[in-house]
Amino acid sequence: MDSSVPPPVLNSPPSKARRYGAQRGVKVFLLWLSVALGAVALSVLLVLAILALAGYPALGILHRWIIGAAGNRFNCAASVADACPLLLTGLAAGVAFRSGVLNIGAQGQFLLGALAGVALTTRFILPGPPWLVMAVAIAAASVAGGLWAVLASVLERYRGVPIVLSTILLNFVALYLVRAALHGPLQAADTSAPQSPQLKVIYWLPILIRNTDFHLGIPLAFAVALALALVLGRTNFGFELLITGLNPRVANLVGVPVARRQLAIMFLSGCCAGLGGAVQVLGVTHFMLGNFGNYGYTGIAVALLGRLNPIGIAVAAVFFGMLDTGSRFVEESSLALPHQMANVVKGVIILAMLVASAWMMRRSRSPVPETSENPTSRDPQQVES
Amino acid sequence: MLVLENISKAFGPVQALNNISLAIAPGCVQGILGENGAGKTTLMNILFGLIRPDRGQIRLNGQVVAVRSPRVAQKIGIGMVHQHFKLAPALSVTENLALAVGRNFGLLHRAVFRQRITALANRLHWAVNPDSLVGDLNVGQQQRVEIIKALLGGGKILILDEPTAVLTPQEVDELIPAVRSLAEAGITVIFISHKLSEVTRLCDRIAVLRRGEMVFAGPTGELSSGEIAQRMLGTQSAVPTLGASSAAPGPIRLLLSRVCCPVPGRHGVKPLLDNIDLSVRAGEIVGIAGVEGNGQTSLMDAILGSLPIRSGVIMLNGRDLRHEAHFRRARQFACIPEDRQGQGLVLSLSLTANLMLRSYRNPEFSRFGLRRVQAWRAQAAELIRSFDIRCAGVDVPIQALSGGNQQKALIARELCGHPPVILAVNPTRGLDIGATAFVLQQLAAARRRGGAILLIHSDLDELLSLSDRVMVMYAGQLFPTHWPAVDRAVIGRMMMGVAPQAA
Amino acid sequence: MNISGESLGTFLARQTVQAATPLVMAGLGELVAELTGVINIGIEGLMLMGCIAGYAAAGISGSGQMGLAAAILTAMGTAAIFAGVTIWAAADQIVAGAAVNILAVGASGLAWFFYQTTRQAAHQSVSLGPQVGFQSVALPWLSRVPFFGPVLFDQYMLFYAAVILALLVWLLVHHTRTGAILRALGDAPEACQAAGISVRTWRTAAVLFAGACAGAAGAYLSIMRTHAFASDMTGGQGFVVLSLVIFGRWTIPGLVAGCLLFGGINSLQQTLQTTRYTSHSTFMHALQHIPFEFFQMLPYVVALLALATLSRSSPGPRYLGQAWKQ
Repeated sequence: MDSSVPPPVLNSPPSKARRYGAQRGVKVFLLWLSVALGAVALSVLLVLAILALAGYPALGILHRWIIGAAGNRFNCAASVADACPLLLTGLAAGVAFRSGVLNIGAQGQFLLGALAGVALTTRFILPGPPWLVMAVAIAAASVAGGLWAVLASVLERYRGVPIVLSTILLNFVALYLVRAALHGPLQAADTSAPQSPQLKVIYWLPILIRNTDFHLGIPLAFAVALALALVLGRTNFGFELLITGLNPRVANLVGVPVARRQLAIMFLSGCCAGLGGAVQVLGVTHFMLGNFGNYGYTGIAVALLGRLNPIGIAVAAVFFGMLDTGSRFVEESSLALPHQMANVVKGVIILAMLVASAWMMRRSRSPVPETSENPTSRDPQQVES
Repeated sequence: MLVLENISKAFGPVQALNNISLAIAPGCVQGILGENGAGKTTLMNILFGLIRPDRGQIRLNGQVVAVRSPRVAQKIGIGMVHQHFKLAPALSVTENLALAVGRNFGLLHRAVFRQRITALANRLHWAVNPDSLVGDLNVGQQQRVEIIKALLGGGKILILDEPTAVLTPQEVDELIPAVRSLAEAGITVIFISHKLSEVTRLCDRIAVLRRGEMVFAGPTGELSSGEIAQRMLGTQSAVPTLGASSAAPGPIRLLLSRVCCPVPGRHGVKPLLDNIDLSVRAGEIVGIAGVEGNGQTSLMDAILGSLPIRSGVIMLNGRDLRHEAHFRRARQFACIPEDRQGQGLVLSLSLTANLMLRSYRNPEFSRFGLRRVQAWRAQAAELIRSFDIRCAGVDVPIQALSGGNQQKALIARELCGHPPVILAVNPTRGLDIGATAFVLQQLAAARRRGGAILLIHSDLDELLSLSDRVMVMYAGQLFPTHWPAVDRAVIGRMMMGVAPQAA
Repeated sequence: MNISGESLGTFLARQTVQAATPLVMAGLGELVAELTGVINIGIEGLMLMGCIAGYAAAGISGSGQMGLAAAILTAMGTAAIFAGVTIWAAADQIVAGAAVNILAVGASGLAWFFYQTTRQAAHQSVSLGPQVGFQSVALPWLSRVPFFGPVLFDQYMLFYAAVILALLVWLLVHHTRTGAILRALGDAPEACQAAGISVRTWRTAAVLFAGACAGAAGAYLSIMRTHAFASDMTGGQGFVVLSLVIFGRWTIPGLVAGCLLFGGINSLQQTLQTTRYTSHSTFMHALQHIPFEFFQMLPYVVALLALATLSRSSPGPRYLGQAWKQ
């Protein structure tokens, strides 16, 4: 068992790791699994009940939903491909939240990553073989996402702007930056919409399983999750990130370079999101629109569902991917229900999970101590080094 | 007449209170003595309606009362001043009192409250400004606001939970006559403390609790101080035996010379550092006495480098520290910070992780930046054994440990590598007698090994018993004393700002 | 956009006030909730629920008032879920807020789909008739005052409601015992509990109030200022509200000033966007070369710059974002 990850304990000054549900242990895991499955069942039932009340064939919808999500080789691959950007934005949120940094900005970091990716494969193609161009584009996208996240960290450190706030605002700035670019230098020739030209086929991430959407970015994303699990859980660097995030004052006291580590947390987080953007462009869409999805915001939910653990996040992302793919299948079928119903399921799952994990915690509550301590940790905005 | 009858309460397997009975007459000051964990606070929380007893009842003037909530307690005239004040720092005194004792939800009648507060404060000879923000008041003033709050609702019984733990000796001297004058006005005061001298000075009757049992109840004069201490502690020895200081201190390890810190920005309330001269030699403990908030925190921050200094020199082993990166500097000191939970430990992490926070970089415990988990666990087990940390295992989160064991873990981490320079701030705060003795012994042992120790401590008695040299900090300045050649009272006066010459 | 008949200044001021109204409305609710220690980043979702509920109810009932009532009730219902999860089950507020946002996107999309299909099936119009949505209400006599008349006294009903609400909330927070309780809930809940005040009940009330405010703000978007619904019609305004509350340092004047600043920059950028092609001034011509996205970005950049250049922001209520466990 890993000694650096907080086990479940309650009734003590609030700590961020616990607030965001980082817990460990086989028993806890099984409980969590059953709770998660229960939450999934509950939310799906709820949505189907609503549809049934509205006069739609609930069972038929469920059937198509499952077929659409995992009914055959092609749909399975589509689900995993849908999961890929969610996995990376989920990792972005997970890395940050696990260290107590409230990075809500995965959306903006994702968009800038996608923009860098599309720029380096359409307008500003470096001389070299396609694989090199793609590698450079993906690396540049990660760095772009990382730097955009670091901007928020810098604003907090030097100007006292809370990260929760700056990342929200920077999401909008990023959105309009991307649209400006897609209207300007990156606009496709034959349109007036904010839209990039399509990538040449040689710059598409190769498809690994023929006749499916299973592109190279998918194993890449899972490898990133594995690497992060290793770095965060097994290295001194990961340990320092954890201390810095959980209690910067302690980190300061024991000689961790807090400022650098705080930047590192945000940079890593932003890198994941930026990578997600590039992988989505190079692997799936092959061009970029002014409206490029809400992967960043959904990533927060994925991170929570995966209990901020890189491996858990991977599982949660695949599940969300299946929800999305399945609901699009339903939308395209004769029923033509809007795919937004997947969002209802997601929202209810998260809320149900929150309630259930609160209930789990209450069960393990320890007796009231004689002298109650005042809470020492405050809201994240006050955490400064 | 307030009567507690056969009160029992268990938390899980722990019997916090066992069959406690006590009768308190009106206008009486009843002292309740006991070590931390003896059940004092639990008993009072039951009386105040915060906790329900498993068994037993409370009678007030002959009638059984069911104190279901603090609101009920207030209604029947019981007020409580908690150890941690229940005040909102962002609100004014008036607003805090309106919050607690007001009944309506309409407009605030500030003038009425102001008048009532001033009237009550005058009766106790206290000066309280009803319009200042509670967060701007010092601890002693906040306590007065708490007492006024308890009485303003018409309280006839006042519970003071460890009221002196947060006060300076001078503030204690002011509190005691105020409590007496309350008793003379017919208010019953229940005074909880683990400091024997205060209780014997103030109280008419005392009750002693030990591990949830009532071991004595009677008038104050009935037992001698020694007998009371005997009952409080059982067989445990009260006075820690400390090793003698080494005869000849070694070379200077830590040196501060003419260190000044500017007052930052418009937050000019706190005095920072004013021309500090200080040296600590190997094998000696330099104690810094002073009322809190006179620059002790700034002194620590300046030494550790988190507070930039404007002028002066800070040297460690003859090396100038001023240009070293903050984190490198922090690695060269062992530090027992004042705020153990906020600055010393990562509460949600395991005991092992907390024990390794200093040494995880050592090649012994990491290879190529990878953590050597087995070595970590072995080291943790070793420290748990040698520092006698009571815990359910190396993987329990540190917040599951008691305060005393948390502090032991912190000290184990900081002292295990035999650091040459140790900074300690209030290292025994909030600990019971046993743990306090352990901490003091560890510091004495570190001195024997040749450590240079800077001890900033608000408990003057402990400070004096441990230190080789004593300095007094007041308003950002540091004054040397001739301890042990001078009297304790002289140091007490210097802490209040009486110039050393006059003192 | 027609600006003939009014000076540009009046037009801009009027637009500013109109853009600021929903922000102030939703902001007042969020401010009260945050004072009590609950941060709800789901305010965007609550507004969206208000938008769709207001639009659909107005369309079905044919009455704007019904729409407004439905918007307020729906958003309060959603806020009640949030309150249950965060206050009573003590779950994390940020995550629950994010969940509410996702849920609202899904629920509003589904509701919009149902509304469209049922209306079409019944051969009724999907869009609101001109008599259904709210029109602006010109106050007699006052609306004829030059400049201030059209800006302040010829506005939608919700504008007047927002002004009155702002005054009431200010009075409540600073001059009543209730206000002292509200502020203490976020600053020292233990003090409230010691005084026999139920922290959870009060916080729930504050969150429900925030829900009602957000719902009304949503209705303002869909059945007052415009008479239309689009699935992304809040367009991040909930997040803007969230930052404006912090920007205003949890004070009502600060919040209102922030909303006016934001609304002002927003209406300025919209006006610039539309007038730069028709105007004859060289300045306007020069602006043509700036992509309009930069104007859209402006409010957010200004908010960031203001936060970064003003002195360090106050930390806010001490217990903001922390659940209270009894």
